[in-house]
Amino acid sequence: MQIEQLGTTPYHRAYDYQMKLLKRLHEDDKKDDVCLLLEHPAVFTLGRNASPENIHVPKAFLHKKGIHVIQIERGGEVTYHGPGQIVCYPIINLRRNKLRIVDYVHTLEQIMLEVVLHFGIKAKRDCRNPGIWVGDSKLGSIGIAVRHGISYHGLALNVNPDLKPFDWVSPCGLDGVTMTSMEQELQQALTLKKVESVMIEQINRLFRRTIN
Amino acid sequence: MKEISELRLPEDLFYSDDHEWVQKTGDTVKIGISDYAQDQMGDIVFVEMPEVGDTFVKGDEFGTLESVKAVSEAFIPISGEVIAINEALEDAPELVNEDPYASWIIEVKPSVEVEFDGLLSRDKYLELLQG
Repeated sequence: MQIEQLGTTPYHRAYDYQMKLLKRLHEDDKKDDVCLLLEHPAVFTLGRNASPENIHVPKAFLHKKGIHVIQIERGGEVTYHGPGQIVCYPIINLRRNKLRIVDYVHTLEQIMLEVVLHFGIKAKRDCRNPGIWVGDSKLGSIGIAVRHGISYHGLALNVNPDLKPFDWVSPCGLDGVTMTSMEQELQQALTLKKVESVMIEQINRLFRRTIN
Repeated sequence: MKEISELRLPEDLFYSDDHEWVQKTGDTVKIGISDYAQDQMGDIVFVEMPEVGDTFVKGDEFGTLESVKAVSEAFIPISGEVIAINEALEDAPELVNEDPYASWIIEVKPSVEVEFDGLLSRDKYLELLQG
């Protein structure tokens, strides 16, 4: 598997690139699986089942803040992405690697659990809500889609984002869910670069078991 | 994940390489997803279906199945017009997991002489799964 670190990438550009990689994998079985690591400028994305009332602030307000709202095809509801969050999009031929979707989601959660544990945070799963949690606060999110047996979209781990924008929506359609970040849990500064390098180790370690 | 030998693959169906099944019933065909596909997805929580009257060309996305937090897109294996959708799946998407062959998703009137050429027999589909 190849890992590509893209740095700050607008949502649409990252999406188009995922589509390109997915098409390449679909057309040529021998192409490598790819894992993209990046950060998005502030954006709200609405999943297929998202209802607009889950955004609690006026459009004009978001416009003033320079935050776009984008409709996408992954599962789930409203999600916020922004600076300070590591986003990982694995484009993996699940079929070729004989990976079930449930096991794949489990592995994505495991990657995030191991990464935050490395920095001393004990997070956990919640079987009803994919992602990782500290108490009742969400530290990392998952939203994936599958086309022709190939995964796209992925995970987002809050390292040190501004948490305010999460209050402007009902994240994942769940009322009363609060978001947290690694920095907030640790009460100390962290760099994205440091967390990203630990994530790369964990991706290599955990996917090596299942991916050729 | 089920072993290949544990999968139910009825003899009288055709299969696509995207893991849909096709059953000819008179002038129309019913389409669903295979036992392999439902097992791969895990618990299905939502089935998004097209509208009756929609027409599709072979290879178009005709719906999605949502499990855990994943959306899987389903591609139509033959061209035609949707004449019925399985409304039971709107309230009980888990039926697809329980019996993927009783739980057809759409019924289609093929627009051309049914293109079974590109579809696989049970044995060919089994070969594909065995890789």
